Amino acid sequence: MKKITILNGDIHPEKKIFSEYIHQVEEKLMSEKLEVHVFNINSMNLFYCKGCWSCWWKTPGKCDIQDDGSQIFQSVINSDFIIFASPLIAGFTSSALKKITDRFVCLLHPYIQIKNGENHHQKRYEKYPDFGLILEQEADTDEEDIEIVKNIYGRLSLNFHNNMRFCHFTESNKPEEIAHEISHY
Amino acid sequence: MKLAIINGSPRYKNSNSTLLMDQFLKGFSSKSEIAQSYLVGTENKKKALADFVESDTVLIIFPLYTDCKPGIVKEFFESLLGVENSVQKRVGFIVQSGFPESIHSEALERYLQKLTKRLGHIYLGTVIKGGVEGIKIMPPGMTKKLFGQFEKLGSYFAEFQNFDPKIMKQLRTPYKLSASRIFFFNLISKTGLTNFYWDMNLKKNNAFEQRFDKPFSV
Ligand SMILES: Cc1cc2nc3c(=O)[nH]c(=O)nc-3n(C[C@H](O)[C@H](O)[C@H](O)COP(=O)(O)O)c2cc1C
Repeated sequence: MKKITILNGDIHPEKKIFSEYIHQVEEKLMSEKLEVHVFNINSMNLFYCKGCWSCWWKTPGKCDIQDDGSQIFQSVINSDFIIFASPLIAGFTSSALKKITDRFVCLLHPYIQIKNGENHHQKRYEKYPDFGLILEQEADTDEEDIEIVKNIYGRLSLNFHNNMRFCHFTESNKPEEIAHEISHY
Repeated sequence: MKLAIINGSPRYKNSNSTLLMDQFLKGFSSKSEIAQSYLVGTENKKKALADFVESDTVLIIFPLYTDCKPGIVKEFFESLLGVENSVQKRVGFIVQSGFPESIHSEALERYLQKLTKRLGHIYLGTVIKGGVEGIKIMPPGMTKKLFGQFEKLGSYFAEFQNFDPKIMKQLRTPYKLSASRIFFFNLISKTGLTNFYWDMNLKKNNAFEQRFDKPFSV
């Protein structure tokens, strides 16, 4: 484990609490001698996927949208571990985080393979980093919400040929615990 | 019934969601008011939210993106949190995807049910239909059955204000690939036929030789 990318999907960074927590995770990871890249999605120039398939059949592997997306794709695919970080909003990670996740499709190949008896797209790159979730709960978050979020991110890991290693909450885990756990993978 | 139909495709009007909705509306053919809106662009988003507020029944149709809702649809769901709930609405979803199996949409379906409950509305269910990518270029013979099913879904909805459970069940089959389908896939994958759609478009764009490019490798 050397290089970590943190995708911070906080859409209310002015409230400070969540993004400050993520900043602490970053510092603790650095003190574990890891290289850390944090992207605060909400303050970047990023557009939504248009569903144009340019990344699959016009300029293979490259998204057609001219914005900050490339920096993120480059960092993600060359990392050893990814953190999807977001407060839960309406029972799921933020639209900012989903905006960039949709566009990860450019990191896959259009060709199809069968995996677990299901259709999936093949790899474009040799390796896709494992990931973990760091979430903040809403006032009304319950067990079912958490199960659903894990369930959907489990599907994401099937699509991206990687593994979900943890789902932690700012309410119940300390930043140093998370950093320590990651440094031991 | 005051119906709002919200089309959440990032492809806007030129989408498979629109094609399917057109069939639904053909069947619906009722005199009741229908407000249609999209989620691409600021003005459209505002109209969609206003339509949601003013209707008593809402259908939201969108494509599956990474086994989940697309970012713009999630953004719309977030905007619903700020809406004052004066009337309880009846809300249904239509999720359509590239891969044919409904298992890809199952986790999302749980989310949509929970979301509707969280917002205090009545959940009408989620219609799931796979194998939809490419319908725009298919000859009519290949889409006849699918379009007929959506037309029926529409006429049933006009009459009963709900999804036809029989059609819903048909549309979400297969749940997973059958053993014979996997066998067939393995058999023809050697011929390149399984990737026909992608190869055809790669070639059309003179990008076939670059198809294995890894632009972000360092
Ligand atoms: C970024 C992106 C992600 C997608 N993810 C999935 C997926 O995870 N599973 C799937 O079956 N289809 C997936 N699709 C295919 C779309 O769901 C399918 O093409 C759909 O019919 C598009 O509908 P529309 O034209 O209404 O947008 C994806 C398409 C795009 C562009």
